[in-house]
Amino acid sequence: MNNREDLKQLISAYIDGETTPEEKERVETLLATDAEAKKYYNNLKNLSSSLRTWSNEALSPDLEQKLNKDYLSQKIEEGRAMKAKTKRTVAVASTVLIALVVFSVSLDVYKRNVQGRLKSATDEIGEQYQPAQSQPVATTAQTTVSAPITAVTPVTVTASAPVPTVQQSAPSNGIVKSARARTEGVMLAKAVETKQYEPYYMDQSYNVNKAEGATRSAKSVTLGFQADSSAKGGRMLYDQVQVVAPAFVGPTVYYGQPVDTNTEQYDQINENEYQEAMQNPLSTFSIDVDTASYSNIRRFLESNQMPPEDSVRIEEMINYFSYEYPEPTGEDPFSITTEVAACPWNTTHKLALIGLQGKRLKGTEMPSSNLVFLIDVSGSMQDQNKLPLLQQAFRMMVQQLRAEDTVSIVVYAGAAGQVLEPTSGDQKQKILSAINSLSAGGSTAGAEGIQMAYELAKKNYIKGGNNRVVLATDGDFNVGVSNDGELVRIIEEKRKEGIFLTILGVGMGNYKDSKMQKLADKGNGNYYYIDTLKEAKKVLVQELGSALFTIAKDVKIQVEFNPSQVKAYRLVGYEKRMLNKEDFNDDTKDAGELGIGHTVTALYEIIPADSKEPVASVDALKYQTTQVKTSEDLLTVKLRYKKPEENESKLLSRVVSAKEVVTQMSNNLSWASAVSEFGMILRNSKFKASSSYADTLTRAQASKGEDKFGYRQEMIDLIQKAESLDVRVTTPGGGISTK
Amino acid sequence: MEVKTDEILISEYQQGNAQALEELFGRYKKAIFNYALRLLGDRADAEDIVAESFMILVTNKMAYQPQAKFSTWFYRVAHNMAISRIRRRKYSVSMWFKKNDGDDFEEWDVADTKDLPQEELIKKEKNLAVRKAIQKLPEDQKEALILREYQELSYHEISVILDCSLENVKILIFRAREALRTELASVMSEDSHE
Repeated sequence: MNNREDLKQLISAYIDGETTPEEKERVETLLATDAEAKKYYNNLKNLSSSLRTWSNEALSPDLEQKLNKDYLSQKIEEGRAMKAKTKRTVAVASTVLIALVVFSVSLDVYKRNVQGRLKSATDEIGEQYQPAQSQPVATTAQTTVSAPITAVTPVTVTASAPVPTVQQSAPSNGIVKSARARTEGVMLAKAVETKQYEPYYMDQSYNVNKAEGATRSAKSVTLGFQADSSAKGGRMLYDQVQVVAPAFVGPTVYYGQPVDTNTEQYDQINENEYQEAMQNPLSTFSIDVDTASYSNIRRFLESNQMPPEDSVRIEEMINYFSYEYPEPTGEDPFSITTEVAACPWNTTHKLALIGLQGKRLKGTEMPSSNLVFLIDVSGSMQDQNKLPLLQQAFRMMVQQLRAEDTVSIVVYAGAAGQVLEPTSGDQKQKILSAINSLSAGGSTAGAEGIQMAYELAKKNYIKGGNNRVVLATDGDFNVGVSNDGELVRIIEEKRKEGIFLTILGVGMGNYKDSKMQKLADKGNGNYYYIDTLKEAKKVLVQELGSALFTIAKDVKIQVEFNPSQVKAYRLVGYEKRMLNKEDFNDDTKDAGELGIGHTVTALYEIIPADSKEPVASVDALKYQTTQVKTSEDLLTVKLRYKKPEENESKLLSRVVSAKEVVTQMSNNLSWASAVSEFGMILRNSKFKASSSYADTLTRAQASKGEDKFGYRQEMIDLIQKAESLDVRVTTPGGGISTK
Repeated sequence: MEVKTDEILISEYQQGNAQALEELFGRYKKAIFNYALRLLGDRADAEDIVAESFMILVTNKMAYQPQAKFSTWFYRVAHNMAISRIRRRKYSVSMWFKKNDGDDFEEWDVADTKDLPQEELIKKEKNLAVRKAIQKLPEDQKEALILREYQELSYHEISVILDCSLENVKILIFRAREALRTELASVMSEDSHE
């Protein structure tokens, strides 16, 4: 029998011409004499020809062109390839993917070259790896950061030219999904038959859990970019929901690839409605200093896509920027600023700003930190925009550490493990080499990692210090305890012990936005989305203090509106942060944290009492009447906070008079209003009234201020970009509607 | 004009001749793409592999040693890229979005089969069966088979790319064929009727 098997093997090798002369002779004799062997031989031959039915497929012309012309030339090595040049190519959306893939790789390599590190590339082929441990990190960080910034150039494109048709049929639930499934499936088969290339990532339908969400997503999100540069078999494959959008080609230096949102999750946001001041005079919410939504929006726009509406959290956009509020004096750790002016997108309304400014501390006053980095090194983290980006960011951050700080690193993937024992901040080399040694591979056991990290943090607990677990992940907790509830329980427990949690989200495609936000909230922490080195630097270096040290916790704001001045009001954003009015005085209710030097800004849109505008209301109560005290007050801001280590809250309040309404907005209010207007347009808010890109842009430009780090300019660029990408129908009033 | 070998081209490129790179790109893009496509079963992934492999070539050209055959070296680069992708994929089955890996190919035949003539349909079906059968093979067998049947490399080259012995390559290919023979028996019998 064994012999027979051997013979078969020999015949197989014979077909491939891989036999010795003796073997060859043996097989040939056998084939001539043995019918069975001959049959087997024919059978294999037949198999070979069957296999050929899967013929070679052509590369997409765009990929080829891009690789060939733009990216494989010397430019890359010289790092000149970053010059932005716009190309009016007809719907070559697919190139964007490749361009970005290549770019992210090339950028990284460029950086690594600067640093003399060819680590990842050589790792891949398993040769010549030299651990680079003594690099001048601070200086290289500068170099590397500057490259992406300068290259981000506003892409000026004509939005109309390449659009052959704009079809938009009313989508219904389920269609989005099936369209996607079809496209995915069809794509490969199609390519064989007609060489028609359908880029996989152009289908942007994303996971929406709720039924209403599906409809909503279909409106703006299913922008199927039809890549049909060949124009030969340009039959559309999205039969139900199609919006043919133009594609833009222009090198964008950006860490990552076009966003394949199919596994990204966003909770649906139901915007805060107008509340009648008479019925509901109290508005209560927890301050929110997260900023992840803004970076996430930027990620979409930078990759030439409109962000899903539910990914737009306006309060996070507003709070991405810092504002110039007065420094706190006295013993409270922050100051309160208020300002009221006419509302720019609805001039019959007023817009009220409430701003908090956290106390700034000098480096020496900063309490010592006990930081435990919990880093996801699972297989999914190995993309350039994930672990390698984090490593870069951590290297920059290490430079900021002081001797009294301790840093430990725990990684998780398959099994959790400690990579760096608690190490003093002055042993930078040791920390750096631990960071450099990280590499991705394995599955994720996030829960185990979190437990281990918290244990370490507890062991090295610094009283009065900044005790914090910094979790860096793409959110794929997928092995072991993957149950959200259980993770939340662990995190909540530790919060009570004074250990906070900061989450740094990276990557895309697999990114679990809603989950991360939830976790950070539970852990009294902040949550950042890191997509570029610049963002990493903002979070970890410039805002190290505020990101990593809390000066006030459970900060809640309650605003009481005076019905004699205010007919109705709505809080802009903060949907996920609303509290019940009785929660305000309940010290057991968890709320947001404020970090050192951090600003928090909230806006209320107010309909004045004398307005004729109808507001959805309930009938007047039958058995009680409400007495309104006449007063010049517009509203009263009440604020509760706790010191980080205390459990009892302190109350502050401030009255805003109706007379305080200013005619000329300050830069603070003007900028915040521009950001929220931009947000409202992006999420197609029903409250956007006369909002328009042009208006937003003008106001943003006017209130840019000093903008030391260029963050505000970046948003100005994004507004322009969004305007060119936005293919939703523009109504004559300047607003956007999607009908 | 004399046709330069791959090895000459790469050495020219190592000395800074960008033209040589373009030539190499022209020679290998399709091969690498199809190799990756058959191995990974996904166009987008395969395109990534092409881009990544050429990036390695661009950024790390000196890693190529003249004593090796260029094609073998380059396939090895692509192999490494593909393997790490496969590994990543294996582990990234998340609890939120379970992918039924086996079902991916089922969807292929959803594509408008109704308008096609009979023989087209049969061909398509056969094509689909082949794809499915290949995807079912264990990774090492699959790769060895692809390198042999489609890329038409010698056992020796395959052994270098897969980093295993010649004997092993021979067995891998043989096993793959045996498995395919069983898997494709029905499709292949139709051949004999034709």
